[in-house]
Amino acid sequence: MAEATTAAPSPAPAPKPANVTSPEKAVLSVTRQVFMTHTQGTLLANRQWPTDMWRNVWDSFSYRRGAMVLGAIIVGLTAFGFLVGEFGETIQFFHRNYLLWAASEFPVMPSWPAEALWILVKGVIVLHIILINGLFLVWWERKISAHMQSRLGPIFVGGWHGWLQTLADGIKLLLKEDAAPSDRDHFLHALAPALVFVPILLCFAPVPFGRELAAANLDIGVLYVFACSGISVLGIVLAGWASANKYSLLGGLRSAAQLVSYELPRAFSIAPVVALAGSLSLTKVVAAQEGYWFGVIPKWFIFYPVVGQISFIIFLIASVAETNRVPFDIPEAESELVAGFHTEYSGMKFALFFLTEYGYVFLASALLSTFFMGGGAAPLPFLSVLPSWFWFVGKTMFFAFCFLWFRWTFPRFRVDRLMDFNWKFLLPWSFANLLFVAPYLYL
Amino acid sequence: MSSSNAVGYLAGIYQGFSGTIKGLMVTLRYLFKPSITVNYPVAKLKPYDRFRGALLFDAVTCIGCNLCVKACPSDCIDLQNMTTPEGKKIAKVSWYSIDFGKCNYCKLCEEACPTKPKSVWHSLDYENVFFSRHEMVRAWQQGDPWCGTYFDPADKKYRVSQEQIPIEEIPARR
Repeated sequence: MAEATTAAPSPAPAPKPANVTSPEKAVLSVTRQVFMTHTQGTLLANRQWPTDMWRNVWDSFSYRRGAMVLGAIIVGLTAFGFLVGEFGETIQFFHRNYLLWAASEFPVMPSWPAEALWILVKGVIVLHIILINGLFLVWWERKISAHMQSRLGPIFVGGWHGWLQTLADGIKLLLKEDAAPSDRDHFLHALAPALVFVPILLCFAPVPFGRELAAANLDIGVLYVFACSGISVLGIVLAGWASANKYSLLGGLRSAAQLVSYELPRAFSIAPVVALAGSLSLTKVVAAQEGYWFGVIPKWFIFYPVVGQISFIIFLIASVAETNRVPFDIPEAESELVAGFHTEYSGMKFALFFLTEYGYVFLASALLSTFFMGGGAAPLPFLSVLPSWFWFVGKTMFFAFCFLWFRWTFPRFRVDRLMDFNWKFLLPWSFANLLFVAPYLYL
Repeated sequence: MSSSNAVGYLAGIYQGFSGTIKGLMVTLRYLFKPSITVNYPVAKLKPYDRFRGALLFDAVTCIGCNLCVKACPSDCIDLQNMTTPEGKKIAKVSWYSIDFGKCNYCKLCEEACPTKPKSVWHSLDYENVFFSRHEMVRAWQQGDPWCGTYFDPADKKYRVSQEQIPIEEIPARR
């Protein structure tokens, strides 16, 4: 074999041995070294088809670990609730002492400035409940939708299953340019997000988060909540009008029609509950559901035969419609109206609409657990060692999960069917339900 | 729900609700199944054995017969034999290059290759993405790794391509 010429400087080729595998191995080591230094990630070599993977899920180590982590989270939260215990009475005690201190420290001053400061603190706390709930629900929705579609969802931000994803999104939204159409009505365009957001803040005032944990113990709590949540429609219509966009306008008008229609069955389905409790105060509605039949079945309104279940289902459906969520999301139907009334909003203005939607999901869940699931009452007598706020938040989160679950299961209603369903089905049945509740009141 | 009699009406309601519950149960069942996607840049899937990924080339076993160049339908392979000082070609390759911008991953070159084991063959590497057109043209000479080098015009050097997944050994080279 003659001398070989090579075009570029390279180590002289080794003489070809008889066994072809050994130089191959020499090159292989170089290749492997290259790959080791330049690659990221691990290769899942023994990956199975999904059908194989799903046949015996408990054989998989990661699945058992995930189940254990979930169990540990539930146990940890329970232990946390048990350790913290009831704090409604403590807060009331603190409030009384604070008023006494203010009266003794500033004897000439009337009592209302001290009370106003206290109310301000409560308002800030309620605001943060909404904000933190928004952070959590957005992340939860993304995770649940991902897992319902056999995906993973956000996984990196924050280290553990992307739990800080919403915070990252929020920072992104804050830093975004506020792009808006030049033809817009400047004042109304800026006013609409605020008009949508403020009522949700007001709505949480009478909601009892547990024993003695309502921000304002209103006598007309039910009426107040429905009245305040009705104001948000105005903001949505304004957003549609001020955007100078046909899709926005259509979304706003649809929203007005839908929300006003679904207010009716929603309110009428609550009428039996109010009649049974004998009060419009949310605290008294909760108090009316205390106790157990035969020592095991809690006296929640959902367990009242016929009337409870019909009320519950109508209220649940109407609540999903009120919160503009799938399958009742025609105001922001992506495939028809781009994004409906918030098409022309970006940055933090859009974030306010988004936050409001999740705030209303939380409010509807809280109302569901207040009206039908006994608020902070434990489902079994011996479980009342856990504090009432723990049960309230647990039930509320269960209903919030239901809202997310519906969203990722059902397709959207057509506009006319949506109205048919409301006026020809929900409303007559909620009227009929008023008839069904009469025997209970007579007994 | 548009039946004329009461029984039909109630049956319609029952049907509607039971269908709704069925749909909800399907999504709930899938919620508790393991996800089929993987956490891509951290974990990577191995394709099936007959997957045709990026081409690898072994300059040691290649006999420079030009069959792969002739077999290639998109004309992306180029080959240069070693020569004796008199200019006579010998059965050894001095330069080999594949333009992945043209390659259509058809496996005809691998089928045409007469050596055993194959000198040019498909790996399972599906991450052959490129930052520049220079990177698309892979070149090999004696002693280069199987994944090849590319010419970097910035410093006039041949570099090894980066960001590859280490699956060049599976399947066993045919």
